[in-house]
Amino acid sequence: MRLRLVTALLASAAAFVAVSAHADNLVTKDRVGPADAPKSFTLRLTNDGPTSTDPVWAEGYQKLFSEFIQRHPGWRIDLERMSDNIGQEQARMLEQAKSGNGPDCAAVDSFVLALFKGANVLKPLDEYFTKEEVADLFPFIREGITGPDGKIYAWWWNTDLRVLYRNKEIVPDAPKDWAELKAAALASKEKGSEGVLFNGGRWEGTTFDWLANFWAQGGKLVDDKGKPIFAEGENREKFLKAVNYFKDLVDSGAAPKRVATIVNYDEFNAAAAAGTAALFIGGNWQYGQLKNTLEPEEFAKWTFSEIPGPTADQRSTGTGGWTFGAFSNDPEKVAMCAAVIKEIYAGPGNALQQQLPTAAALYGKYDVFKTEANETFAKALVNGQARPGVPIYPEISNQIQIMMGDVLSGTKTPEAALDAANTAVQAAFARL
Amino acid sequence: MGAAQRRVAGPSLARRLEANPFTWLVPVAVMLGVFYLYPILDVFRLGLTNASLVSSDERYTIVTLQAMFENPALLDILKTTAVFTIASVVGQQVFGLAIALLVMRGERRKLKGMVALRTLVLVAWVIPGIANGLIWQMLFSEAPFGAINSVLRMMHVSPVAWLSDPNIAMLSAVISNVWRGTAFSMIVFYAALKAIDPTLYEAASVDGAGHLQKLRFITLPQLRAAILVNSILVTIQTLNTFDAIISLTGGGPGRATEVLSLFTFNTVFRNYDLAGGSVLSVLMLVISLVLALFYASFMPRREVSE
Repeated sequence: MRLRLVTALLASAAAFVAVSAHADNLVTKDRVGPADAPKSFTLRLTNDGPTSTDPVWAEGYQKLFSEFIQRHPGWRIDLERMSDNIGQEQARMLEQAKSGNGPDCAAVDSFVLALFKGANVLKPLDEYFTKEEVADLFPFIREGITGPDGKIYAWWWNTDLRVLYRNKEIVPDAPKDWAELKAAALASKEKGSEGVLFNGGRWEGTTFDWLANFWAQGGKLVDDKGKPIFAEGENREKFLKAVNYFKDLVDSGAAPKRVATIVNYDEFNAAAAAGTAALFIGGNWQYGQLKNTLEPEEFAKWTFSEIPGPTADQRSTGTGGWTFGAFSNDPEKVAMCAAVIKEIYAGPGNALQQQLPTAAALYGKYDVFKTEANETFAKALVNGQARPGVPIYPEISNQIQIMMGDVLSGTKTPEAALDAANTAVQAAFARL
Repeated sequence: MGAAQRRVAGPSLARRLEANPFTWLVPVAVMLGVFYLYPILDVFRLGLTNASLVSSDERYTIVTLQAMFENPALLDILKTTAVFTIASVVGQQVFGLAIALLVMRGERRKLKGMVALRTLVLVAWVIPGIANGLIWQMLFSEAPFGAINSVLRMMHVSPVAWLSDPNIAMLSAVISNVWRGTAFSMIVFYAALKAIDPTLYEAASVDGAGHLQKLRFITLPQLRAAILVNSILVTIQTLNTFDAIISLTGGGPGRATEVLSLFTFNTVFRNYDLAGGSVLSVLMLVISLVLALFYASFMPRREVSE
């Protein structure tokens, strides 16, 4: 499997060189279009672009960008690539945008979009999208991109959700609730696997994946005014119940202690490739990654189901995704940013990466979303919940990450860890 | 004639510059002022505001200062920083000196491979902090296919919770930092060892001194200045280490490996609290200065010539 991964990386590099040569150097590592083009704009991207580490995505985006720039002669796109440290990258970009030194157009993570809107650094995109296109967006997406003045300040082009992956050979039936997942994980250990894996280290994924267990009970992180209330009244009980559930998984051995060190979804792919994983909570995008990574006969063993809730009828899953925003004061560059969104990402990009579109119409437009897997993902969006778009959320997330580490490693009791988290969050909220 | 004029003009300019050193100090002062002093002053200023990345309403207040010092996490962060710094400084000095002595001994005996050994140690030093953290993360991985634990299993030794156990995670962070920083200490000590007069060792040999006695009574006293200078540099370097830790443990589990520099980084880039991060930056600066002055007080004084 490792050989396969290395081969895939080499193939990615080779494909990049080959496609770049074929496109007459229109797409290089840091530029799209001719170097001497009279007009240019900067585009800051994540892994979703021509320099993606995924060879299939990289090749697909090189083609899409190459075709795009040929439709827009006279333009050059200067590419900037974000590191995987998304929190830091987004904070840095916010500061740059506030001081007028931000990129002209950039990927903005949906969970920090509220901060960018609040800082008034985004340019309205209303004139580039029809009312019908906006109306076709899922309600939580539409709400997320709309500012207090009713204008749209970004385009949320993909969404995702978390599911429970399982190796059917080891865990034949989908666990429906917490107790069934624990039992299945313990049983899988007897067959040589690690039990259930999930993010538990110091990063956003830990908070987001765990929140499904809190939300499934109806828990709320903040009130309607954005004040943190997760440690008050019924929310406190629900919060502790969800924390104790993860603690019990680790204490009972249903999950290995190493979950407290996991800070990357790729760890699950690696464990699946190494044959040591039977169950893990991952993102819907990982289904395609598993298909590209595993041998076909190994991939055939894998399937997914909704994240189990405390009971079979209490379900939730986190929905995230990426938006694009324009920061430039030049209307021509804002228009180009909108063109990139419409012609490359919202639709073709979804299909290329098999990342769930945010508009209902796109599900019928592309065959990839008519597969059984993607239809199942789309249906599961019904129980999807986005992170609250409030300025205090990053600190809530930070404190939940610390709390999870303290609880899973046995440093603090769930109650003490929750109190410490709440104290820190309330202090930060008071300073906002 | 021309040569005579140049001889006359040269000393005259030098004398003028010598008489008025501000002329040639100005460019240096401007550079230091713009690139060092101004950011420091701005950090002091920001520490006395409520500046945040999510708000443009900036006003002067001591609330941030108060909030940072009343933060219940700060004491634990300072303890963690002290453990990480002391262990790293001691580890880097001991291993750096040991390797420098090994290289010196090898060179004296004209052994082959000494240049290769020096180069090998230096490789660790040129690796960026983030990469260093990622390398050690792979080595310390607790997955069934983790590098070090796999070797331990092959030797029928129980795997170690390198990163998930709060106490061992600190040890892991120190190991990775010492691995990277040892090369710097080795270079400093190697240069200082080269400067020791060999006749001291010859005289000691004539007097019948053993290796340990030579180390204790000649090498270490002669290295005193190098050890102190190295201590200052390594301490400040370690206090500022955050890239290697952020990629190795992210500060976790919980806050077990969250040192002051990482806490500062998190305050700015995760809490978006620019003022709070500035207060912590000033605290780091003060700690570094106090430690530097403490070390400097042990520096050998130049004897006054009679």
